[in-house]
Amino acid sequence: MNKYIRTSLAGLMTSTMITSAAFAAGTHPDTGEALADDQTFIYRLLDEHSSVDPQVVEDTYGAEIARDLFEGLMNQDEEGNLIPGVATGFTTNDTKDVYTFTLRDEAKWSNGEPVTAGDFVYAWKRAVDPALSSPYAWFMELMSIENASEIIAGDKPIDDLGVKAIDDKTLEVTLTAPLPYFAQMTTHSTTFPAPQKVIEEFGDAWTKPENIVSNGAYIWTEHLPQERSVRERNEMYWDNENTILDKVVALVINDENVALTRYLAGELDRTEVPAGQFPRLKQEHPDEAISFPRLCNYYYTFNVSDSGPEEFKDPKVRQALSLAVDRDIITQKVKAGGEPPAYTFVPEATAGFTVPAVEMASMDQAERDELAKELLAEAGYGPDNPLSFEMVYNTDEAHKKVAVALSQMWKQKLGVQVELANMEWKVFLEERGNQNFDLARGAWCGDYNEASTFLDLLQSDSGYNDGKYNNARVDELLAEAKTSDDPAPLYTEVERIIAQETPVIPIYHYAGVYMMDSDVGNWPVNNVEQNWYSRNLYKLAE
Amino acid sequence: MLAYCIRRLLIAIPTILLLIVACFFLMHFAPGGPFTSERPLPPAVLANIEARYGLDQPLWKQLWDYLYNIVVHFDFGPSFKFKDRDVNDIIAQGFPISLTYGSLSFLVATAVGVSLGIAAAIRHNSWIDYFAVGLGIAAQALPNFIMGPILILTFTLWLGWLPGGGWNGGQWQYLIMPVIALATSYMGSIARITRSSMLEVLNSNFIRTARAKGLPTRTVIWRHALKPTLLPVVSYLGPVFVYVLTGSVFVDIYFSTGGLGQAYVGSALSRDYAVLLGVTILYGALTVIVNLLTDLAYAWFDPKIRY
Repeated sequence: MNKYIRTSLAGLMTSTMITSAAFAAGTHPDTGEALADDQTFIYRLLDEHSSVDPQVVEDTYGAEIARDLFEGLMNQDEEGNLIPGVATGFTTNDTKDVYTFTLRDEAKWSNGEPVTAGDFVYAWKRAVDPALSSPYAWFMELMSIENASEIIAGDKPIDDLGVKAIDDKTLEVTLTAPLPYFAQMTTHSTTFPAPQKVIEEFGDAWTKPENIVSNGAYIWTEHLPQERSVRERNEMYWDNENTILDKVVALVINDENVALTRYLAGELDRTEVPAGQFPRLKQEHPDEAISFPRLCNYYYTFNVSDSGPEEFKDPKVRQALSLAVDRDIITQKVKAGGEPPAYTFVPEATAGFTVPAVEMASMDQAERDELAKELLAEAGYGPDNPLSFEMVYNTDEAHKKVAVALSQMWKQKLGVQVELANMEWKVFLEERGNQNFDLARGAWCGDYNEASTFLDLLQSDSGYNDGKYNNARVDELLAEAKTSDDPAPLYTEVERIIAQETPVIPIYHYAGVYMMDSDVGNWPVNNVEQNWYSRNLYKLAE
Repeated sequence: MLAYCIRRLLIAIPTILLLIVACFFLMHFAPGGPFTSERPLPPAVLANIEARYGLDQPLWKQLWDYLYNIVVHFDFGPSFKFKDRDVNDIIAQGFPISLTYGSLSFLVATAVGVSLGIAAAIRHNSWIDYFAVGLGIAAQALPNFIMGPILILTFTLWLGWLPGGGWNGGQWQYLIMPVIALATSYMGSIARITRSSMLEVLNSNFIRTARAKGLPTRTVIWRHALKPTLLPVVSYLGPVFVYVLTGSVFVDIYFSTGGLGQAYVGSALSRDYAVLLGVTILYGALTVIVNLLTDLAYAWFDPKIRY
């Protein structure tokens, strides 16, 4: 079929759709917008998901699918606020360590059976079961559920987990300590219910489309690994009548440029924009190129452990290097995707976090460079005694561009000699985790929308603290914040200490940079965690 | 001949065994493991996972169990990354795809390459020769990772004729670009080898004799020159057949075919030990078999060769 015929056919089909949509009253119940007849959303995945088993899934793509197939106690709305899911609500005792959730009567599995509190009890016990050995078992520890750690370690039987079904519609959870954001954590896939009978019947293969039974707005109908997967409307879902999108197709396209080409050819409704291409695409497709803040940061971490270089033990050196980084050049010229420059570790978009007035942010770049030179001279480095070190990043074109820009800034402004080294991902993680580096790239996306998900990385005994930064005051403040009713001032103080001591160089905070077809309605750009639910989306008539 | 085949197949067993052992140890000595991640797992969680997959056992025990399961149960183990699939599933799903477009590419490359090469040699130094040589060199300079994006840009974005990727059960629209991308550069090499081989054969004594006794050119070419011409081509085709199956990783990446090449590279990067070993064994066995077939084909092409 040649292009001309295709185009005219497409035109014909569009006009038919508009007519039939008007007759069929295909309008959005709230906004009144005209809806397309074909309610199919097609998006690109960079890589194959690892699993759609809610207790097992560990990657973002799998979690996105699991969020459509299953529904937990609570959900997030388009802004990221907590709204009821299978539970209509919850109550908590005075000490805030016992939560009681009431389940809605109409919630059903896709085989028509009711969703009961017992399904949640089974799922949560399953998550910590050493026999299942879920990589996300730690999430149950993070939720502070009674005995979770002991069960994972094999010291207690799984039936001792602090969760029980009072009756079919009442679930009671006991925590080891009050956790202010506990209810938010029940939107995470690890806490979704699981169909016991199906899992016992099919074992690991229960998540295959021909076996799976789920309770979300969609059912899993097709999966061709490394190629595509399809989920379709679940007629049994309790809120099915308010679900607009009929079908969601995820296509695995490893190469981002091929994905962009296929998007431009009209095969996809959503794809990521490759680094540096956003300005051009924004100009050519102003309605489709979108950028919004995300809950992730991009930084370089100093190795301040015993195995790290002597030079980095001096906070002045670390501060000088951070000051000399022109973040505007990185964000505007190198990344160019609308990423906000970072002067703090926690992204500004984080809920309940006010960016503290750190000194560096209020200076202009010339002042920063001047101060950087002074600090480095005070530390004893100059033309006669140049500072030199190695910086490592994992092999990737975008990381390389940033690393080259950083090393050039340091060389030109401060005369610092930097050797760049890139490593394959797993080698990089191993080396960084064993403190075999001077300066290493890092990035972190929040597990939940709260500043501690980032700042915990700088706690001295955190498993993620690869630079081995150690400050007793920071540890103390973070411990206090865990149970505080108003942790914001504590986080602000931690950020001030970090700005002073500079154990890390924050470079930028992530933006979600997408090509999104303008007929996709209601994409939750304000949900910084990007926890999207297909049932909230719709396709507009063109 | 039969004895020869049996002998060759028997030699293949220790060869593949050696391949497994070498691959197994190389894999385990590479830094990082299947569960190394940006979010290091708490020790208790990691211990549970390692116990489940037997990774807490000493290496020799892991190797023994692995071999035992293959020989006794024909079970190549679980995937560490894809929780609901094992290696047998992954190969059963990906290999038919790789085999389909790999074989088609092989046929296209051979048919077009050999025809071009013969045409060029017969019309030596004519425009046909220059055209064929030019095309051959151009094709050789376009490996599949260059052809992939060029084809997608042309046929999907500009012309809008073909879908930009996917497999869809191997429908012809989805096959065209992967096959062209994969076949092009091999086609160029085959054309060049065929041409130079044919030229050499056409200048040899027995062809002069055939011509001298008055045989028509057609008979000289088809009856006498073709078989010896193809001898070096066949020895090149053996490895090419394995390459089009194993070297398909770029095609898998650019065209999202779901073939095995992607699983192969993906498993190496994610340290999915069992998948990597399984695919290596498959490719190893394939190489051994194709080499044997190539050697047997020699005997048919060249009566001087006897087994």
